[in-house]
Amino acid sequence: MSEELRVSSIETRGAAGKKRYAMVVDTRRCIGCMACQVACKAEYDTPLGVNRTWVPYKVVGKYPTVKKQFLPRLCNHCDDPPCVRNCPVDATYKVEDGGFVLQRYERCIGCRSCMAACPYNARFMLPAHRTYSKITRVVDKCTFCFHRVTQNMVPACVQTCVGRSRVFGDINDPNSEVSYLIARNATQVLRPEEGTKPQVYYIGADRNATEFGRDAYSKPEVMEPERSAFKRHFNI
Amino acid sequence: MGDYVWFHDVSWHASYAIYFFVIGILAGLSFLSYGSWITPALRPLREKAAYISLGLLAVGGLLLIADLSQPMRFLNTLNPAYLNFSSPLAWGALNIVAFGIVSVLYILELKKGQDSARGKLLAMIAALLALGLPIYTGYDLTVHQSRPIWNTPIMPVLFVALAIASGSAAGSLLAGGNAEAQKVLREYMLWSTAGVGVALISILGTTNYGGSASELTFMVLTSGTMGTIFVGGGILLGTAAPVAILFLAHLRQQATAAMLMLAALLILLGSAALRYALLMGPQQLQTLY
Ligand code: SF4
Ligand code: SF4
Repeated sequence: MSEELRVSSIETRGAAGKKRYAMVVDTRRCIGCMACQVACKAEYDTPLGVNRTWVPYKVVGKYPTVKKQFLPRLCNHCDDPPCVRNCPVDATYKVEDGGFVLQRYERCIGCRSCMAACPYNARFMLPAHRTYSKITRVVDKCTFCFHRVTQNMVPACVQTCVGRSRVFGDINDPNSEVSYLIARNATQVLRPEEGTKPQVYYIGADRNATEFGRDAYSKPEVMEPERSAFKRHFNI
Repeated sequence: MGDYVWFHDVSWHASYAIYFFVIGILAGLSFLSYGSWITPALRPLREKAAYISLGLLAVGGLLLIADLSQPMRFLNTLNPAYLNFSSPLAWGALNIVAFGIVSVLYILELKKGQDSARGKLLAMIAALLALGLPIYTGYDLTVHQSRPIWNTPIMPVLFVALAIASGSAAGSLLAGGNAEAQKVLREYMLWSTAGVGVALISILGTTNYGGSASELTFMVLTSGTMGTIFVGGGILLGTAAPVAILFLAHLRQQATAAMLMLAALLILLGSAALRYALLMGPQQLQTLY
């Protein structure tokens, strides 16, 4: 990732002496087992109805030529994150060395500006009641497993990924596996036109899975019960 | 079998639209209160507009605080150690507080019951700070680059026009049978509502002919329940109809009290509908991304 591509001062891709963690998701290897989603839930006790990572799928084609396309999703730990720019009280911030976009739970006022600013739906409001955690009624999101990565471990979803679809590492290190994968494969990021410089790179992602489809407008009926159940649970 | 997507909730709910509506009226009334120092016809509105404007600020402030998931932490937005000036909300919080302080000082000055130079100055500062309110709320939407409609340069301009329109409409309802004041107010209502109409035309154009997200948002906004609110309530009833009524009055240079009251009520209805649709519509699509 060349330094010349950096636009704003917050970006750290290619910055000397700094780490810039990224994830590569090889969608050709994803089998849709959702083990990553479960591992993340187990790691953080993420409440019902919200996720730090999730694996949506689309069925494309027409019988008999059909295929299920999986697109593992999470916070992109954008190099130029609009969520950070929009938080009125600096409750969400970017760690310069590493590029993690994190939350200060004790400071968040719950204005949801960051949620509105994120083009990827990576943020969610924690409900009023949780069993094992006192962190409630503030915005939460994927942390790229900051607590694990700073202990030289990979994120929980990466460790558990059965198909080895998810790979994590420092793209500022030219010898890392992520640097190798990005250099040797055609990659795609989600909604690059938003200027967020996402740091989750997809190999083999198809436009059917990454673009807004017309079904976003005419929602299939089958989804409505789940959608309204989610809203009932939301409680905030 | 439906495809599997995770459902996301909208970030900002309807209470935020009510806040926009309230803040628009209070800004408009504040302009009128200052206007009364320059246009003698508006003189009877000076005190009423200032009091109601401050009262609405209290309502709007409470709405905003209640909408936070951590209401007691609203003080964080005033903590200099926390403030992030790249966020429009930080500017908004400062603007609201400054407007509140100046409004109180202005009302204290009005209580003295005489036209003082200080009163005029405070009215002007209050009006300038009030102008900041629709600008910041519009800007608050404009900065979200991934949201069609919000991310158009017209948003703060539209919100200022809506503030003048709804403030003048509220002023017209307050002015009652005062013919002199009504004559001025009906012109304010006409031209600001016409301005709203022009802004809506440009929004519809850039959205309908934009990228796929814009096109889909256009479809959300112009069909179903949202279409009824946006096109029916906001554009036809709330903008086109009062402009037609007021333009007729402008051509004839006279208007009946019923016409004015109807136009004012329609403008208020329209500005509420537009606030709701413009806030909620552009969020719908993203809930499924
Ligand atoms: S994906 Fe969303 S939450 Fe994550 S850094 Fe980017 S804008 Fe922020
Ligand atoms: S919800 Fe919390 S983290 Fe998000 S913008 Fe508001 S204060 Fe910042």
